[in-house]
Amino acid sequence: MSDPTSMLPDQHPRRSLAWRVWAASTQSLAVKSEGLVVQQAGENDSAMAERCGLIDLTVLERTGFRGRQAAEHLESLDLPVPDAPNRAAVGTQGETVLRLSARELWVLSAAEDDGQHVRRMANQPLPTKDCYALYCQHSHAWLVLAGRYRAAVMAKLCGVDLRESAFPVGHIAQTSVARSNAIVVHHQWGRQPVFSLFCDSASADYLWEALLDAMAEFEGGPVGLAALV
Amino acid sequence: MSTHQRLKAPMGLLIDREKTISFEFEGATVTGQAGDTLASALAANGHWLLSRSFKYHRPRGPLTMAGQDANTLIQLPDEPNVLADRKAAAAGLQVSGQNYSGSLRDDKDARLDWFGRFMPVGFYYRTFFRPLGSWKYWEKLIRRKAGLGRVNLEVRPDYCDKVYRFHDVVVVGAGPAGLQAALTAADGGADVLLVDENPLAGGALSYHRFDSEGNLADSVRTRLIDDVKAHPRIELLLNATCNGWFLDNYLPVIQGNRMYKVRARECILATGSFEQLVVFRNNDLPGIMLCSAAQRLMKWYGIAPGQRAVVLTGNDDGYHTALDLQDQGVTVQAIVDLRPAAEAADIRHIATEKGLTVLSGSTVYEALADRKRQHLRQVDVRAITGRGTVADTSRLIDCDLLCMGSGYMPAYQLACQAGARLDYREERAEFSLTGLPPHLHLAGSVNGIHDLDTVLADGRRAAGSVLQSLGLSDAVAEAVTCSRRVNVDWPIFPHPRGKDFVDLDEDLQSKDLVNATKLGYRDIQLVKRFSTVGMGPSQGRHSALPTARLVAAATDRTVSETGVTTARPPFVPERLEVLAGRGFDPYRRTAMHHRHVELGARMVPAGVWQRPSYYGLADRRDACIHAESEQVRQRVGLIDVSTLGGIEVRGPDAAEFINRVYTFGFLKQPIGRTRYAIYTNEQGVVIDDGVACRIAENHFYVTATTTGVDRVYRDMLKWNAQWRLDIDIANVTSAFAAVNLAGPLSRQILARLCDDLDLSAEGFPYLAYREGTVAGIPARLLRVGFVGELGYEIHVPALYGEALWDAFMSAGEPEELRPFGVETQRLLRLEKGHIIIGQDTDGMSHPGELSLDWAINRKKPFFLGSRSVDIVMARPQTRRLVGFTLPAGTPKPEEGHLVLRGDHISGHVTSCEYSPTVGSIIGLAYVGTDQAEPGQTVHIRVDGGSEVTATVCTLPFFDPDNKRQEL
Amino acid sequence: MKMMPCPLNGLRNISEFVYGGEVTDMPDHTTCSDREWAEYVFYTDNQIQVVTEWWLHAPSSYWFIAERHTGSDEILRTYDPSERFTERVDFEQTEDNTTTGGGSGS
Repeated sequence: MSDPTSMLPDQHPRRSLAWRVWAASTQSLAVKSEGLVVQQAGENDSAMAERCGLIDLTVLERTGFRGRQAAEHLESLDLPVPDAPNRAAVGTQGETVLRLSARELWVLSAAEDDGQHVRRMANQPLPTKDCYALYCQHSHAWLVLAGRYRAAVMAKLCGVDLRESAFPVGHIAQTSVARSNAIVVHHQWGRQPVFSLFCDSASADYLWEALLDAMAEFEGGPVGLAALV
Repeated sequence: MSTHQRLKAPMGLLIDREKTISFEFEGATVTGQAGDTLASALAANGHWLLSRSFKYHRPRGPLTMAGQDANTLIQLPDEPNVLADRKAAAAGLQVSGQNYSGSLRDDKDARLDWFGRFMPVGFYYRTFFRPLGSWKYWEKLIRRKAGLGRVNLEVRPDYCDKVYRFHDVVVVGAGPAGLQAALTAADGGADVLLVDENPLAGGALSYHRFDSEGNLADSVRTRLIDDVKAHPRIELLLNATCNGWFLDNYLPVIQGNRMYKVRARECILATGSFEQLVVFRNNDLPGIMLCSAAQRLMKWYGIAPGQRAVVLTGNDDGYHTALDLQDQGVTVQAIVDLRPAAEAADIRHIATEKGLTVLSGSTVYEALADRKRQHLRQVDVRAITGRGTVADTSRLIDCDLLCMGSGYMPAYQLACQAGARLDYREERAEFSLTGLPPHLHLAGSVNGIHDLDTVLADGRRAAGSVLQSLGLSDAVAEAVTCSRRVNVDWPIFPHPRGKDFVDLDEDLQSKDLVNATKLGYRDIQLVKRFSTVGMGPSQGRHSALPTARLVAAATDRTVSETGVTTARPPFVPERLEVLAGRGFDPYRRTAMHHRHVELGARMVPAGVWQRPSYYGLADRRDACIHAESEQVRQRVGLIDVSTLGGIEVRGPDAAEFINRVYTFGFLKQPIGRTRYAIYTNEQGVVIDDGVACRIAENHFYVTATTTGVDRVYRDMLKWNAQWRLDIDIANVTSAFAAVNLAGPLSRQILARLCDDLDLSAEGFPYLAYREGTVAGIPARLLRVGFVGELGYEIHVPALYGEALWDAFMSAGEPEELRPFGVETQRLLRLEKGHIIIGQDTDGMSHPGELSLDWAINRKKPFFLGSRSVDIVMARPQTRRLVGFTLPAGTPKPEEGHLVLRGDHISGHVTSCEYSPTVGSIIGLAYVGTDQAEPGQTVHIRVDGGSEVTATVCTLPFFDPDNKRQEL
Repeated sequence: MKMMPCPLNGLRNISEFVYGGEVTDMPDHTTCSDREWAEYVFYTDNQIQVVTEWWLHAPSSYWFIAERHTGSDEILRTYDPSERFTERVDFEQTEDNTTTGGGSGS
């Protein structure tokens, strides 16, 4: 696990589209959901994650449902359904449920597990009508921005007030980040509250670079999963 | 240069007396203190000459010491037109003057000053336009003589960025009104951002004198600033310019290399007011400055602005300036008061008690220069006899400093950008602002309030309105009034020999404006455009008021009727690099992007995507494309088609919905089959095409063009918001990566990677759709023939895209599988006569012109374009898209080249390439309907104007029976 | 920059939105005249008045309806299209292959 040369992401079928921007300069990688994520990026991961750290969790499991029956479907799976659009809630197993509209819900796997809960859920039969599975696992990249400067970093990229006072944990903003569409979720993930950013999977390279550029003045950078979980 | 003694504290608020810094000005070393601006450091060394004027190259020195005039524009190595009274002096800076020939002190172009009377306003326009074309000659010469600094084209932009901020209240201007407003608003519970362009807070409190003893300003300033700095809900930004007002209180605030994009729920403009000039002959000489500039020099920088001073004033503030000067050891020769004696009895009494000479009802009629003609030496003071007229008897007073102030103009720019109006109040000879939009407020002297206690009260009042608007208070704020008059109505004294400047930036004299009205330019906007008044860097801060008065008088209107010209952002000049910021330019890359780059692909933009054009060196483009096309036609090739749009429609009404938006019939489309889908909008124009796959009874997967998918998806959502069919529509473009494996050998490669599908021609025929596993990856497979060969489009979840590419490239080794790019694909499809929407179609193309009648179902009740298509198809057709050929070796027409009918244009070329497979140049073009028969010849005008003769032919150019794709 | 109250996402910069034209009622495409159809497709009133418009919040692909005054540019109200379009719209096939229906939900 510690030798990155034997564990290049392109030896795994499932890859983040942005793996090249982080794989080369990382210390160790971990297998998650048939792909790789950064386990440790550098020597100062913990300190970095407290200021502002960035990690690509695209390969981690997530699923989504849309339709009039979507909320009932999640409730039948014992997941909490936020009562308003653009709110998030955390389930008993650590999954985060995103309510993106009255009829659209996503489920993100917990920091602690290997995605098995979400995988199992995705394999459950859907209601026969008015509930459609979404492709958010592949259509969107999942980047996580952690640390106390996360709102200050986002203020350089995004025209929505994401400071704690206006955007507390449990809130979601579907907006434009660095002129590219993204969903920003403020939620507890692992040990700390983070911003999860979901952008078009093909824009992951672009957004990664834009975020790192904005993070530079706060001495932020890539971090590994170990610093968050 | 000699270093002069600085004035003792509390003068010199901004400077650090312990730290000296040196920089170069015009090649000489200048030493100043940390905290100095370039202009103050120069003044401290007795150097008052900073620049040469725009047109006449007259010597100019500090006027406002607040960055509000063009006199201080200097040149830095990387930046022209820098304000020397704003730019902080820094060690090692190399500073020079600009717009001169020779040196700043000895400018050879200064002789233009003597010819000034032969060069009236509009001189250039009216002189150099004959003979035709002569302006081209004169322009170069004139631009060399009249102008500003030099741009360094080599300079690399700094790192500049932008940051959004959100506040309950933004207060612009940290003077007494702004400080007080911020405090009251924050005390009431609001979160406040207080912005000031100066390096210190306090505004007029930091330099102005508000009482005869001279103690009041400091005590009020200290108290307010201490309270503001200690307040947890106030953030104070200094050196920060709010450079505009945009809708809904969106405020760009520039601080150094950063622009804050501030959104304020409520905004208070406490921007203050600009002290105004007196217009008299030679009122631009170095040594003549506004009263406030002299006070800033003393209080901010600890610099005595002169040794012997005359103060020319239209209000009590001038007396306070005289007292300040006297306190600092400057000899005040006289206070010249524009008002009659009766109007200023009280302050006059105080001045006389302090031993100052007051000349009431008088003005400076002319300023006289020293021997080198570079500094003030003497003023000619005369009694005022009427509006703009003076007595013949003159009294000459020696002085090296003239402080002037004829009143104030509200800093109206931001308010007017927000839609406020300026009305002239004749009884006070003052412009005032009315008609502000909701959530925008004024406070202090911008609001016509001048006495310090009323200014503070006005700050409290504005904050009260803000708190009420924010729902933080119920109290209704009471209006504040100020009875003090600060303006004189006619501080303009035209001189028969001119040089009585109204606009120093543009070297405009009073007669220039009067002459403009005589030439018929009566409207203030026309006066501006003809004379250029107010167009300079100071944007009318000091010229708008005298211009309005002069034009009003010359055209027999009131000043209110005359008005001022429109205020637009920016408030001060801003650097393009700051506007650009980080320049976000989003791009998308497919899962296979880096593989293309590794294989040597030339990447080209396709919308926000980047796609491989072809693989190989740019100078071998044609050879690469021909080799790739041969590979596909004879063996097998692989192309990344991930950028292709994908839309899923699911639900009981899925077929009904597809049937309404696309032209073909889809209700009876069999499951597991694909069908060509043309999207016509309500105008009947073809705007997209794709392939509709019926995955299940209630499940369609439709492809769309790379650049068209977003629009098609949005249109679909909008239509179903109205139709309310029972479906779900999803844009799955990014969810799928896709390749097209094409060529006679493609089936055997696919068979190696896919063992759960019958790939035989019968088991998986042309136009069929299958789902299976390819290289262990769940995949959607379409047998389509865009390039006209046996081929498979394979769509897989995006995260597996690169693995899919890798699997094919290695599985295809025995067949020597090669990748091919978009350019090659375009050639291959052209050989098959397939159109590309957007390349071969335009905003008028309807299905008839494109010979797509076959793809329209006329039996169905409705599709989006149905009625319009019916209407246009029933009318006589004018053009048709046809194929044409030209023998190899003919000059090749390009896209957009014209098709002719005699001398007239009948159409144009949309696609054209040399096809090695066909052995000739082939293309698509719109031609007249009378030219569209196969076998007819048409003339195409190519580059250089020559014409080639092309032969119209039937499509496709290759494999007319379409046998190859159906193998 | 102007702000737009989105019924789903709240108050946002107008740059997050795409204008979708005025909300218009489609005439019955089987019975209306060519002129009526052309007016529906190509013409707008272009008066100083309150207009009802389609707006899309691009990041969430959410269409809604806004009432805006073209003189003051003030946005008076925004709401979900389901408030206006309550009924399913059908274009029915008739016996002789001509069609009826069309029009909009309200």
